[in-house]
Amino acid sequence: MNRFVRRAAYRTSMFLLSVVLVVALWEMYKVVGPQDGGKLFGAGVLPRSNDTAMPHVWTMLSRYGRPEVRGSDKRVWVVVLAGAWFSFRLSIVGFLLGSSIGVGLSVLMSRFRLVERGLLPYLVVSQTVPLIALAPLVALWGGKLHIFGFEWPRWLSAAVLGAFLSFFPIAVGTLRGLASAPAASVELMESYAASWKQILLKLRFPSAIPYMIPAFKLGASGSVVGVVVAEISTGLKGGIGRLIIEYAREATADPAKVFTAVFGAAALGLTMAGVIAISDVYLMRNRPKETSS
Amino acid sequence: MSAVQVTGVSKIFNQGTPKQVDALIDVNLTVEPGEFVSLIGPSGCGKSTLLRLIANLLEPTTGSITVNGKSASQSRLDQDYGMAFQQAGLFDWRTVAKNIELPLELKGWDKEKRAARAQEMLELVKLPEFAEMYPWQLSGGMQQRIAIARALAAHPPLLLMDEPFGALDEMTREYMQGELLRICAETSTTVVFVTHSIPEAVYLSNRVVVMSPRPGRITNLIDVNLGAKRTEDTRAAADFFTGITAVREALRGTHADHANAGAVRGVEDR
Repeated sequence: MNRFVRRAAYRTSMFLLSVVLVVALWEMYKVVGPQDGGKLFGAGVLPRSNDTAMPHVWTMLSRYGRPEVRGSDKRVWVVVLAGAWFSFRLSIVGFLLGSSIGVGLSVLMSRFRLVERGLLPYLVVSQTVPLIALAPLVALWGGKLHIFGFEWPRWLSAAVLGAFLSFFPIAVGTLRGLASAPAASVELMESYAASWKQILLKLRFPSAIPYMIPAFKLGASGSVVGVVVAEISTGLKGGIGRLIIEYAREATADPAKVFTAVFGAAALGLTMAGVIAISDVYLMRNRPKETSS
Repeated sequence: MSAVQVTGVSKIFNQGTPKQVDALIDVNLTVEPGEFVSLIGPSGCGKSTLLRLIANLLEPTTGSITVNGKSASQSRLDQDYGMAFQQAGLFDWRTVAKNIELPLELKGWDKEKRAARAQEMLELVKLPEFAEMYPWQLSGGMQQRIAIARALAAHPPLLLMDEPFGALDEMTREYMQGELLRICAETSTTVVFVTHSIPEAVYLSNRVVVMSPRPGRITNLIDVNLGAKRTEDTRAAADFFTGITAVREALRGTHADHANAGAVRGVEDR
């Protein structure tokens, strides 16, 4: 336990150190960088370091404590938090949807080689379609689609786009994991006359977990990206994506404001990854330590 | 009724293709209940294939196999045998006790019965205090003992072993051989045992089946007369060396065609 506490303390201090480093880099560039950007070998590669493009860290932080709009009693941090919470719930729905589809597909593909050969290329192609192109299409379903008395709510379109980005890494990672069970173990199960389902549940899924956890991490962050992009491109109200475009319009007058929303989106992604990391620690607690990802 | 009856069995992989391998040709073998039979031979002689045919993990191309008077497939469904491999193959995510319970779980035993049997098996292999440990916390020899406990958990009358001690060091290996004989005597289990080691085959067996490759076939059946009770002193007995010499000479014949070894990949690479 003592070792665990020490390792946790070490990790936390390393994280804090990295935050300090990033802040220091940001502020240092503001000191040395050209105010209106700079050209290197004729190309405009150096970003502008003025207060409109790169507000001071403390300006951005203090912006959280001030009202969202002049005269309003709502402070920015409350609005950003509410937006992040809204998008978080959508991301969770998208992630759950995406992981059920992803795991389901991987089980099908591992069961039937034919399905794997036929389906996998389409899954790869599906991921090359830009989300921006797909978003308006899926958004159109909102309020228009009625399936057996179920009315398609607008927020579900954003969740579906989150699922669209999250199912693929999960399907591919799980498929790889299901195939990772050693041949000798499969033979052992067959010698016990175990059914396909028993082999799947008692051998293949447990062996797949070290492959599934990184896949689920990718899927979780994919779901956040999908939801935020869907909010931006379909104009769904209430989420962090909508806040980003709203605040971006005020970027010249109030440059720190848009950063508050951007950090909110980043924190959202980190929270999702954290949820998976916790389940990783739980699921791998009794495994040999070198295999944990 | 014999424990294992192999009649006119051939196994040909990739039949009719350029990659055709005659793994076994016309094999006949009878194993009586309570007998300990070892299969020995150079790589590619089909000894592992023969074991997998008896286990019904492979189907013979021709011929028939019965286990305890039933067809091989029926006895697999009835879990009439337990199996152990060179790699202990314990599941990392299960405790030692849960690993032993695996075949019982698949059979649908209830929880209390399973736990009681697991404890009984742990005592049989002399590791009762390790029930709640995880396999990767144990040494290789201990893991192999757990694998044997798992193979015998359902009290099958037959134990099929594929080089189970091949990955162990010599000292552990000899200890495990003694333990295996004791366990089989206590449970009156019939054993078919695949090995590369001549002393191991002689020390353990009532009969040694010598096999030869390309095509895989049985060339000699050698009776070992070391008596029912074997101890560490047996390893120094004159009869032990007589047995070793007999097996070695029988094997030498099988190596005559070793000049073209490697032309065909050994079947037991699988």
